[in-house]
Amino acid sequence: MLGLGVDRLRADMNRLLALLFHQGVLDEQFLQLQQLQDESSPNFVSEVVNIYFHESEKLLRNLRGLLMDKEFSDYKKIGIHLNQFMGSSSSIGAKRVRNVCVAFRAASEQNNRAGCLRALELLEHEYCYLKNKLHELFHIEQQRVLAAGVRYPMQH
Amino acid sequence: MAAMQRVVAAAQSSVSTSGGGGGGGATSYASSKGVAASCASGAATELVVISDQFPVGLRVLVVDDDVTCLRILEQMLRRCRYQVTTCSQATVALNLLRERKGCFDVVLSDVHMPDMDGFKLLELVGLEMDLPVIMMSADGRTSAVMRGIRHGACDYLIKPIREEELKNIWQHVVRKKWNENKEVEHSGSVEENDRHKRGNDDSEYASSANEGSDGILKAQKKRSNVKDEDDGELENDDPSTSKKPRVVWSVELHQQFVSAVNQLGLDKAVPKRILELMNVPGLTRENVASHLQKFRLYLKRLSGVAQQQSGVSNSICGPVDPNVKLGSLGRFDIQALAASGQIPPQTLAALHAELLGRPTANLIPGMDQPTLLQASVQGPKRIPIEHGVAFGQPLVKCPSNVSKHFPQSMISSVEDVSSGFGVWPSNNLNTVVPSSNLSGLSTQNSNMLMDILQQQQRQQQQSQQQSMPPEPSRTINVQPSCLVVPSQSASFQAGNSPASVSQNCSFNRNSVIDYSLLSSQSNNSLVNIGHFSNGDLKTTGALSGYSGPGPISPSVSSCSGNADSSMGRQVQSSTITFGNARQPGFVHNMHDIQGSYGSKTGEVLDQGPLQNLGFVGKGTCIPSRFAVDEFESPMSNMNHGKLFMENNGIRVKQEPSVGFMDNAKVGIPILQQFSSNDIMSVFTE
Repeated sequence: MLGLGVDRLRADMNRLLALLFHQGVLDEQFLQLQQLQDESSPNFVSEVVNIYFHESEKLLRNLRGLLMDKEFSDYKKIGIHLNQFMGSSSSIGAKRVRNVCVAFRAASEQNNRAGCLRALELLEHEYCYLKNKLHELFHIEQQRVLAAGVRYPMQH
Repeated sequence: MAAMQRVVAAAQSSVSTSGGGGGGGATSYASSKGVAASCASGAATELVVISDQFPVGLRVLVVDDDVTCLRILEQMLRRCRYQVTTCSQATVALNLLRERKGCFDVVLSDVHMPDMDGFKLLELVGLEMDLPVIMMSADGRTSAVMRGIRHGACDYLIKPIREEELKNIWQHVVRKKWNENKEVEHSGSVEENDRHKRGNDDSEYASSANEGSDGILKAQKKRSNVKDEDDGELENDDPSTSKKPRVVWSVELHQQFVSAVNQLGLDKAVPKRILELMNVPGLTRENVASHLQKFRLYLKRLSGVAQQQSGVSNSICGPVDPNVKLGSLGRFDIQALAASGQIPPQTLAALHAELLGRPTANLIPGMDQPTLLQASVQGPKRIPIEHGVAFGQPLVKCPSNVSKHFPQSMISSVEDVSSGFGVWPSNNLNTVVPSSNLSGLSTQNSNMLMDILQQQQRQQQQSQQQSMPPEPSRTINVQPSCLVVPSQSASFQAGNSPASVSQNCSFNRNSVIDYSLLSSQSNNSLVNIGHFSNGDLKTTGALSGYSGPGPISPSVSSCSGNADSSMGRQVQSSTITFGNARQPGFVHNMHDIQGSYGSKTGEVLDQGPLQNLGFVGKGTCIPSRFAVDEFESPMSNMNHGKLFMENNGIRVKQEPSVGFMDNAKVGIPILQQFSSNDIMSVFTE
């Protein structure tokens, strides 16, 4: 029963991952991340992703703050923020977020404020979607670990 | 490099049971090499096993303000079994690197960091610890990557970074070590030879060392002052900037490098800035950094040697050894000159090429020969200088007009180059012309001329500045350098340049010694030299460089002066040709001088030969006079010179020497005549 639960949870995870891959939300870099998770750091993926969320929210706040400023003109700073956002997003395999960042950066390089604002909206949207989905994923993962943990003593 | 050291230690223990595990003070470089060698020879099978896990334990410092990436990289590197240190601030990373020098093998750095630009970090790391630095950025655009390359990053990873990429980063560590190794081997072998030769000399000449070192010190001071002024000209010097896909430090490139270093000042020269000044596409900061490092080491080595060798000047007697010393001295001077920026860069490059054991494209295949030639040539030339000292003062006094101008120039130049510089320009053409002439005279007379002065002269390219340096001892150093330059350039050119050039080469090498040759050649060489001058202007940078030194050096240095003089004396027409040869050089190097030559020479640049002829006609007198001066020295040379000259000895025959003798005796009177009549005429022109 519990074993079945574990399998089911694993299947759910895989389904969700497949969906995210299919949607282009994630790419194989995320799998790399999962492969990096080992016994020395069993929560590596969620740890990294949480760091990512933390950093990304900071970046998004900064970006919004910059763009909302009436006298805004510092496109270079936007570029730097976006660069970091791109780096971290691509590093965890958040493909769509990264793609939006590229578009955002292109707009900022053209000093296209309207484009930047639109891109920011999109970025926030993509980010929220990613965050929700990853939270969902981690939630399933957590359940799976719990289920596995429950089963473990039962075998003995 | 812990891993490497471990490997090495293991290797050592296996080969010889000396190894204290891992604590080995042995440089990682040496160790890695040792391992490689042993592996190659297959001597120790154990080593192979150990080296198989080599990259394990590679000490990596990761710097990234993006903590997400930092965490991922840390995990990846850990998975590679590297020893990871992470740092989210560049400044902290830098402090870490400084505090724990030698505790990291490779640095992975993000490009964009708020507290310090990744490239800045890269630059500092490259400069201070010469570690391989790998840049990372999400920005994979060509321009960004290009920037990384230009700054000398040994790799540029585009985020997301994959584990496979990180697995391989150890190769940069090994590659860097290997490259250094090669360099060390090259230079080391050369150095060994030099050391060997020098070792012999040092003991003999040690007594006279004081004077020389004195001069050197002053020269160095002077150098620092002078640095600023020569920038512009030096930069203009190298129109022939060729870019090469793989960075071969060609003559031109090195010339640019040297001029950039000069511009910045040796102490403040930073790879990045040098790179900016050089502005050579495809050249990376790393290239520059390693070259700069070599250059510094080279200068250091030479200066160390030079001090010991400076003593040579006093004792002329040592037959063979003197030559060697002279050679080394010459090198030193060259270096000093280079440092100060007066150097004809090509020459330097050629020298360096020899010293480093790296054949420059133009260099003649046999590395040893040039060096030997140079040494031998220098020896004799140098001797003349010393003798010249005796004559020097009289000569100085002789030219009335000149003398007037000289004092000023001299003083000013000694005190401050710039001021001296200013003085000269202000003088009329007359003064300028004399100055060049005088310079020739003074150099020879004044063997005493200080390195500094000459350097200044060169730098300012006002050969005129030849402030008659009060300090005799310095002359010695200076002249050798001058000598060296010509000889080197000659040899250098020989490789490249047309037949005419080759004749020049012979001329240069033998110049002082073989007056007979010169005379004989002079007839022949007239035409050739003329060609040469043309060649300089257009053909090769090297050639131009040669002409530069040649022309300058004559005025400045005794050796070149000798060459001139011989030419002038033996054949006036030859003088003319010489003039041609010279003028290109002037044009290149001496902007001010051109002005001084003014109506006649100035146009030479464009029209070259034709103009020169005119100049020569008038100038002839001067050269011939020079010849007289120099002959004095030559004769002395001849006496000792024969002994010294290996190559030239045969050529040096008594004809020339006799002639010199005569001239020598006559010398002063002639000079006086010269000063009164010819100089005046020249000046008035």
